[in-house]
Amino acid sequence: MKKIIFLYLILTNLAYGYNYDELLLKAQASIFPKIMLLDKKIEDKLINGKVIYTIIYDKSDFYTALEIKNIIDSNYNGYFDKYKYKILLVDFLDFSNQTEASAIYVLNSDKYIKKAAKIAQEKGIIAFSYGIKNLEKGLLFTLMLEKSTVLYINKESLYTLKVDFVDTLLQMVRFIDKSDAKNKTIYNNKPLWENITQIVSNKYIAVIYN
Amino acid sequence: MRGNSVKSLSTKIVLSIILVSIFVFLIIFAIFEKSNKEAFYDIEIEKANIIARTIEPLIALNIYLDMKDNINKIALQLIENPNILAVKVLKNNVVINDIKSNKYKNAVNDSFIVKNLIFQPNSKKKIGTLVLVYSNKNYKDLTDKFTKLMAILLFFLAVLFLLLGLYIKELLSPLRKIAYSLKDYSPNKKIDISFVSQNNEIGLISNALNNMQEKISQYSKKQQDINHYLEEQVDKKTLELRKQLYTNTLTKLPNRLSLLNNIKIVGNNGALLIINVDDFREINDFFGHITGDHVLNIFSSRLNEMFEQEDDIMLNHLSGDEFSLLFKKKPSIKEFTKIAKKLVRDVEKMIFFHENNELAIRITIGGVYQIEKALEKADIALKSAKKQQKSFLLYDEDQNIEELFKENMECVKLLKKAIKEDKIVPYFQPIFDNVTNKIVSCESLIRLIDENNNVISPVNFLIVAKKSRLYSNLTKIMIKKSCLYFEHVNCDFSVNLSVEDILDNETVDYIKHQIKKYNVAKKIIFEILESEGIEEYIEISVFIREMKALGCRIAIDDFGSGYSNFEHILQLNIDYLKIDGSLIKNIDTDTNAQIIIGTIVDFASKLKVLTIAEYVHNEAVSNKVKELNIDRSQGFYLAKPMREIKTLLSHQ
Repeated sequence: MKKIIFLYLILTNLAYGYNYDELLLKAQASIFPKIMLLDKKIEDKLINGKVIYTIIYDKSDFYTALEIKNIIDSNYNGYFDKYKYKILLVDFLDFSNQTEASAIYVLNSDKYIKKAAKIAQEKGIIAFSYGIKNLEKGLLFTLMLEKSTVLYINKESLYTLKVDFVDTLLQMVRFIDKSDAKNKTIYNNKPLWENITQIVSNKYIAVIYN
Repeated sequence: MRGNSVKSLSTKIVLSIILVSIFVFLIIFAIFEKSNKEAFYDIEIEKANIIARTIEPLIALNIYLDMKDNINKIALQLIENPNILAVKVLKNNVVINDIKSNKYKNAVNDSFIVKNLIFQPNSKKKIGTLVLVYSNKNYKDLTDKFTKLMAILLFFLAVLFLLLGLYIKELLSPLRKIAYSLKDYSPNKKIDISFVSQNNEIGLISNALNNMQEKISQYSKKQQDINHYLEEQVDKKTLELRKQLYTNTLTKLPNRLSLLNNIKIVGNNGALLIINVDDFREINDFFGHITGDHVLNIFSSRLNEMFEQEDDIMLNHLSGDEFSLLFKKKPSIKEFTKIAKKLVRDVEKMIFFHENNELAIRITIGGVYQIEKALEKADIALKSAKKQQKSFLLYDEDQNIEELFKENMECVKLLKKAIKEDKIVPYFQPIFDNVTNKIVSCESLIRLIDENNNVISPVNFLIVAKKSRLYSNLTKIMIKKSCLYFEHVNCDFSVNLSVEDILDNETVDYIKHQIKKYNVAKKIIFEILESEGIEEYIEISVFIREMKALGCRIAIDDFGSGYSNFEHILQLNIDYLKIDGSLIKNIDTDTNAQIIIGTIVDFASKLKVLTIAEYVHNEAVSNKVKELNIDRSQGFYLAKPMREIKTLLSHQ
């Protein structure tokens, strides 16, 4: 019964929300907080002594955002290294300059990516993106699973933010500009059935393993 | 030739340069080898460390982000470096990556291992370790190259130094040639030294040597003249000294040394007479040395005249008053004795005049009728003749006087040892009163106890003791031991004293001290020996007076054996006369002895001097002694000398 309800939710999600790669979500959920800590100015971004990791989502992706939160909590158990953290789930519509955030993780959206990127730049915080294409809209960082795990960084955004990453990170990331982002093939451009198959299989695997 | 080559200065210099340079090069090589190898090693280690340090942040980031693929990729990239044999990454001590190159197996034994800690980026937290196995191939290549380079360098330097050495040798070769040519140099032979034209030190040396040759040659000629003159003078002087050495400076006769040489030349067929002028000292003392020398000169001339015709007789002047006649050919013993005796007579007839003094001399001759140790034997014969107051005595081989001397020497040793080991002891012989037949006194007689505890009679050592100046020691020992013995024995005792003892102040003082020390002045009787004749009456008189003042008594021992002045002796205020044994021993039959003893006893009784007969060896003698009114008797018939007399005294 539980599996049926879960499948229903998924399918609902598929019907109304964006498509996400479960494995990629997990990878990003585990790596992005660590990358956030590679910012030498992380101390400046603490809010009440805590790291606020804000997940920006479209209304239809609430559950995806919630799942990401759950993954992070299970991985980090309340602490990013020595810092206490708090995860906020914020709808694109609610996201503003007043929203508390030490870094943001932006899920897919057709309309609000630029807005989120702009606010992040204004706040001077790191903006992680689920999709690589969103980097062309001003988000800073993403991670893709190719032959190996590859980190991408938006070269243009890097210098406008109040971010100072450790040098080695910059040695291993791939810098990307707008044209690169357009040419990048990502699963979102795959035929739908392929995506569904992949997502289902991934979810299935995840469920089985959980 | 090879030996000369090694000794040459140039060879030594070359060898020294080579040796020093080898030594220096070896040290430099060793230091460079060591320091450079260490440097190369450090460089390679540093290279490995730099790689590790460079890659560490990237690996750290990948560990941090859990991007194992990337770690693997990095490791694979590292392993492409031919020097890196293996890469191992440990995360919290768990190996998460371990990649080895194809060369690892072959090269792992000669490799360095570099470990680098991995820290979390943007933190100091240790998250792992990076281990690189780094090949030392580069290090080996470097060191090999360096060693080769050094070897080549050393080789060229060695060649360079060898050439330098050879060059020096070549430079010094003229010196060697000069040295060889100087080897046969003599002042009479001029040596042509080349290299004079050289404008360097060798040229200067050559010039200087040539100048020196000239000067030496001139100096040598002068020196030869001087030497020739000196040699002539030395020869003259040597002749003169030789003559002086073998000649008596006073009489110009050949001396003792000449005699010794001639004895050697004569061989076995010779004989010798030694002539001594009697009492020549008196001539010197009374008339002076000039007269003495004059007499000797005339005497030597007369002797010379007497024997100058005799080719086989050589006259020598041995010392002041001693001459010798060496017979190169033995005359008959009769002839030999005749010559000696005739000489004595002829000399007795000689009269010598000097400054209104008319002098006559007598001589004593000692002769030896064979040549072996002739001088010593003739000397012994001369002394024996003097002692026996004979004008001539021939050395008697049968008497073996030489052996006697040896025995005397042994005796002296024995005596010295006995004195040192306290083996000189007194024996006591009682003297009896001829009326009461009781012991009235004891004579202390000296005895020597030898190593075998044999009691040695003084006959065997007393004469030697006198000659060897040990006599006074013996007297002191006897005085001390006798005084000690009779300190607490109620009996008179007598001790023998020689005239020499009395004349020796030290001995007299010692006697006085001992008498006082043991309080025996009233008991002691000093027996003064008369046998050798007493001449020093004044000194003896003083001694007697001093001793009598202390309470001591005096006896004249062996009275009648000597030739002392009887009247003088009787004036010495003596207490006893001990009549000599030679008069007593045959008194029972010898009527002459009876007459002499009767006279002595008569004189003595008038002077109230007691008489003692020695050598009473049988009853007949004892009876005769008593019959002649001799007061006391001493002899073996009555009692022998004994070590202890207290018992005998206590039984009286």
